[in-house]
Amino acid sequence: MKRLKALLAAGLRQNFGLSLLKHKVLQGKKDLWLVLLAGIGFLSLLPVLVLYVRGLGLLFGILRAAGQETAMLTLAILVGQFFILVFGLFYVLSAFYFSRDLEFLVSLPARPFEVIGAKFGVILVNEYLTVLFVVVPVFVVYGVMAGKPLGYWPLAALVFLLLPVIPLALAGLLVMAMMRCVNVSRKKDFLILVGSLALLAAALFLQLGLAGTRSPEELVKFFSAADGLARLLGEKFPPCIWASRLLASGFSAPGLGYLALFAGGSVAVLLLLLLAAEKLFYRGLIGLSEMAVRRKKLSAAALASSFASGRTAWRAILRREWKLMNRTPIFLLNGILSVVLVPVMLFIMVRTSAGSSSMAILKILGSGNRLAEILFAAAFFVACGCLNGTASSTFSREGKTFWISKVIPVAPGRQVTGKFLHSYLIAGLGVLGGLLAVRLALGLGWKSILPAALLAFVAGVLLTATNMAVDLARPLLTWTNPMRAIKQNLNVVIAMAVDAGILYGFYHVSRLLRRVGFAGTGLIAVLFVILSLLAAASIFLLARFADKRYTTIET
Amino acid sequence: MIELRNVCKSYNKGLLRAVDDLTLAVPPGEIFGFLGPNGAGKTTTIKMIVGILAPDSGSIAIEGRDNRSEPLACKAVTAFVPDEPEIYERLTGLEYLNFIGDVYGVPAGLRAERAGRWLDKFELSAVAGDPIQTYSHGMRQKIVLSGALLVEPKVFVLDEPLTGLDPRSAHHLKEAMRGHCDRGGTLFFSTHVMEVAEKFCDRIAIIHKGRLIACGSLDELRRQAGESQSLENIFLELTEP
Repeated sequence: MKRLKALLAAGLRQNFGLSLLKHKVLQGKKDLWLVLLAGIGFLSLLPVLVLYVRGLGLLFGILRAAGQETAMLTLAILVGQFFILVFGLFYVLSAFYFSRDLEFLVSLPARPFEVIGAKFGVILVNEYLTVLFVVVPVFVVYGVMAGKPLGYWPLAALVFLLLPVIPLALAGLLVMAMMRCVNVSRKKDFLILVGSLALLAAALFLQLGLAGTRSPEELVKFFSAADGLARLLGEKFPPCIWASRLLASGFSAPGLGYLALFAGGSVAVLLLLLLAAEKLFYRGLIGLSEMAVRRKKLSAAALASSFASGRTAWRAILRREWKLMNRTPIFLLNGILSVVLVPVMLFIMVRTSAGSSSMAILKILGSGNRLAEILFAAAFFVACGCLNGTASSTFSREGKTFWISKVIPVAPGRQVTGKFLHSYLIAGLGVLGGLLAVRLALGLGWKSILPAALLAFVAGVLLTATNMAVDLARPLLTWTNPMRAIKQNLNVVIAMAVDAGILYGFYHVSRLLRRVGFAGTGLIAVLFVILSLLAAASIFLLARFADKRYTTIET
Repeated sequence: MIELRNVCKSYNKGLLRAVDDLTLAVPPGEIFGFLGPNGAGKTTTIKMIVGILAPDSGSIAIEGRDNRSEPLACKAVTAFVPDEPEIYERLTGLEYLNFIGDVYGVPAGLRAERAGRWLDKFELSAVAGDPIQTYSHGMRQKIVLSGALLVEPKVFVLDEPLTGLDPRSAHHLKEAMRGHCDRGGTLFFSTHVMEVAEKFCDRIAIIHKGRLIACGSLDELRRQAGESQSLENIFLELTEP
């Protein structure tokens, strides 16, 4: 237990850079601005939080009228656990098998369950931060509006603390089983990618297909029960129901029963993970870095053909970015996968009966209003293309190899061109994915899709350049686990907040344009011109910023 | 030609002075060895020469050009090999060399000839098509060196280049560097291996706590320190804590 505690403490310090931050802020008084920036970043989320809480208040009122307010808790817990399970797969894969401290940890006199336990603890803390803003407001709104007694609050805290345990431990079990199988082959990277996608597809299928097809009679039966909707939502994942019923019942006899189920279930799955670690972890890990290699001497002709063509510097950088991103499973899954995931989720949701009502809502929202259709679609395309970590981790992903970018005789402004094109290609892929999903799932007409895509492609330039600038301002270059460069990188969160701010700004610009008399094609044209000007300016400013910033980044 | 004038660099807002008023010049054709205990400021100095770190004050010129006001011109004539071969692990050796060739503008024909030569000498030809991830530490060091040699720059700046190299590769590297300097090139390198510095360098500088405490040929250093001392003894004497 002592070893587990020591490993956990070291893992937390390393993961959150606590020792380094303490050294920089307290001793060198350096990077104090970083603490301020983080504070401002969190403050910038406040308006969104206020909107969210207001929305929850409205939802509570609607659900209470139908006697289904517990469904709010179930939904929040389900959404939280869903995200933890889906994204936890990659966290776990990265932390358990690809972090650079593993070679050191394996050599320590620690049992596999201690190493996994410590790593699990670090991911758990990360997950608290992930679900904090989703779940806690729901618990608070429910507790206050339902007039829950004091005993509700410690139970809510307990549910919050246990919330990530089951999905994360399940993700750990799945990943360990997968890695045990993958490690028998020489084509490990490929199998890891395929295996991860299969796990992800399974998780999506489980969650999105949970409602299945139900007859109207069955649905009526669900709604007539006191917590029927909660049961309907959480029936494929019972821990959600246990947790929400625990909160709804409080310290009553049934409440304590659900407490035993939820807490006991969490502990049991965690123990299962630790037990499995003893059997599977090292077998999946040892020899993982061995790869299929050719070890065949290249002939002079083969060598000459390998060097047949010289490229311009920006093309060389674009190729480097493309290859490094695509060949690092963690980067690939978090970058390209996330631009594919949103459209696929939309498609599956709309195509399942569970999503039929949302489809109806979307159709009502857009019906008879071409402008609204175009703007909604454009915003969705932009979200598909740009709300991922590709651009906002482009410098951070270089990590300790950033010295190469500093010593090569290529102006930073030109280097950034190659990086921008790479990020923009991925954003473009997301826009196309969104376009296909909207066309195939919602049947939106081309007359709305094409102008929306045009706006999204131009907005993509602006947001890509902005996201890159955010990362350039404070690149995270000292990571040992690639997940830190893209998934646990504060720059990605800040960039998303900035993107949301920009889109929100454009929402107001559209309203303003309507108020002064613009409508239809005219309004779209004006928006296009404004976006184009801003896009051009953002690229120019990014290049200038790079020329200045590269000289001050010290590695 | 490398010239450092009154170069200073400190960390922690001046609390830790890593390099203190360093002035030295390395003329063309010279192999210049840079010695010092751990934490003396060797790597900081080297990083300032190649533009990874910016000095707090003073100036650095490469081939007569200031490396801050004309950074690209300086970088175009310099190849750097760091002490830790941190390079793109997911690229193959060939892809890495091609990348270096592209960004330094080495023509394709020359690239093939030079890369072939160095891959052969460093016994990397059989693994050049494999991801760098699969390389040992020494092989990584050799692929970084191959990249630097591919460029054939006027100035080589190498931070402990012999660490991790097998004797044959170390011999090839030393031979290549001697040839480079005989053709009028410049080599600035740091090392902890006294024998190498003693036999290989035209001039040697010793840095201690950021300050240059000795600089000259081995004979000059011996004269300063007392007759017939070995470089190791001179080093130990000068850098005594």
